[in-house]
Amino acid sequence: MSKLRIENVSRIFPAVHGGTPTRALQPIDMIIGDNDFVTILGPSGCGKSTLLRMVAGLDTPSTGRILLDGHAVTRPGAERGMVFQSYTLFPWLTIAENVAFGLREKGVPQRERMDIVRQWLERVGLTSFANHYPKQLSGGMQQRTAIARALANDPAILLLDEPFGALDNQTRALMQELLLGIWERERKTVLFVTHDIEEAIFLASRVVVMSARPGRIKADIRIDLAYPRHYTVKTSPDFSVIKARLTEEIRAEAVLAAGV
Amino acid sequence: MRPLAPISNPLRIALGILFFVLFVAGWAYATFGGYVSPTFLADPVTMLKDGWYLLTRHNFSFDIGITIWRVVGGFILAAIVAVPLGILMGAYKPIEAFLEPFVSFARYLPASAFIPLLILWAGIGELQKLLVIFIGSVFQIILMVAVTVSSVRRDLVEAALTLGARDQGILGRVLIPASAPDIAEILRLVLGWAWTYVIVAELIGSSSGIGHMIIDSQALLATGQIIFGIIVIGFIGLISDYLFKAVNRWLFPWSLS
Repeated sequence: MSKLRIENVSRIFPAVHGGTPTRALQPIDMIIGDNDFVTILGPSGCGKSTLLRMVAGLDTPSTGRILLDGHAVTRPGAERGMVFQSYTLFPWLTIAENVAFGLREKGVPQRERMDIVRQWLERVGLTSFANHYPKQLSGGMQQRTAIARALANDPAILLLDEPFGALDNQTRALMQELLLGIWERERKTVLFVTHDIEEAIFLASRVVVMSARPGRIKADIRIDLAYPRHYTVKTSPDFSVIKARLTEEIRAEAVLAAGV
Repeated sequence: MRPLAPISNPLRIALGILFFVLFVAGWAYATFGGYVSPTFLADPVTMLKDGWYLLTRHNFSFDIGITIWRVVGGFILAAIVAVPLGILMGAYKPIEAFLEPFVSFARYLPASAFIPLLILWAGIGELQKLLVIFIGSVFQIILMVAVTVSSVRRDLVEAALTLGARDQGILGRVLIPASAPDIAEILRLVLGWAWTYVIVAELIGSSSGIGHMIIDSQALLATGQIIFGIIVIGFIGLISDYLFKAVNRWLFPWSLS
């Protein structure tokens, strides 16, 4: 069943100061099924974040349309939760209040709100930090809070824009396992943008590879590694085969993008 | 000394006090040593004696009180008008486009130049003094608050949007709380400037206040009294600044570095 339909969506940024307009994204068609975990893999500047922002409603397509559950996306909304690469917790709210932000906006009663917040803090292992301010937490903890904040809202789809990009390798690996664990239980539809090949394979049920700017879809690969996935899968032969293939695809694009 | 290397707290306080000591010592050297005529500059001891005389014989504490009330009154009026306007200007571009050019122009109108007009309009009573402070502060606060609100991190606004926040939620739950510590800091800064306007307002057409005392003392060549008045203003400024900082720390614990 299709959850998200991206139909003929492209993005051209208008010219600045008499320059030429920038074509960030070629017209793209993509259908994302219910409960899919799709990673969009591409070199930097390929328009993958632009695509995600358009799904979120933070940017408007130059052509085409985006449909979520049959409804056209025209503006940002609570049914499309988003986790950003930058740390976007509200610094004046505690961790618990951050997680409750969307629920309060929806008008969920206090008691129910607190229950949901407690559950999500437990799932991301931050119960004892409920009353801390964001700046008192490490980067990994802040991104865990951001994931909890987006999911506490119970969105129809979760969008993640390189959420672990600023974290160190070890933390990043742990965060991937945590996110995958949540997805294996919740089976939310997830759209995850990354430039990290290993991350893209490990997390996804489907990897979409994008070409260098102007971005278009270059490859679309199902990942049939079994669930529950353990981190050791990253060293398995099956994993290596997929990784080798994607490395080739991405390398060609990175060479184009870097212009070397 | 290494660039940007921190120093211990006691050392910082000691160095801060040291400058005051050196300043007074230099002043004492210049006056007691006879390098400056007492007609033009009183020595520190005369200044203190004159200050005591003012406080005990001339009810100078009343003048201090009236000056504080003028500053605080005019400043609060300005803040009540300017902070909401500044927030609206920062948040909504049409309002900014409507008001910004005029406010930018009005900001450069010197408050002191309005005094003769204000005396015509409002007489020489308290209202005129409050209006001088008001005019001097209100445009500054509006512009600085607008800049602060409009420069709230865009990604925080976007995060709130993807969490389902609507326009009012963005204003009330993101833009205002995000800029609140900076707005408080702006008010602290502008309150400092308000002190310079009140003295000017009191130099002309006034029968009370620190500024009035200073202009009276000038006629008597009582430089000790003038300096005492100036130092009192400095101390009140220092105290109000400290109080403002303490309140800000208490209100916005999350913004401390």
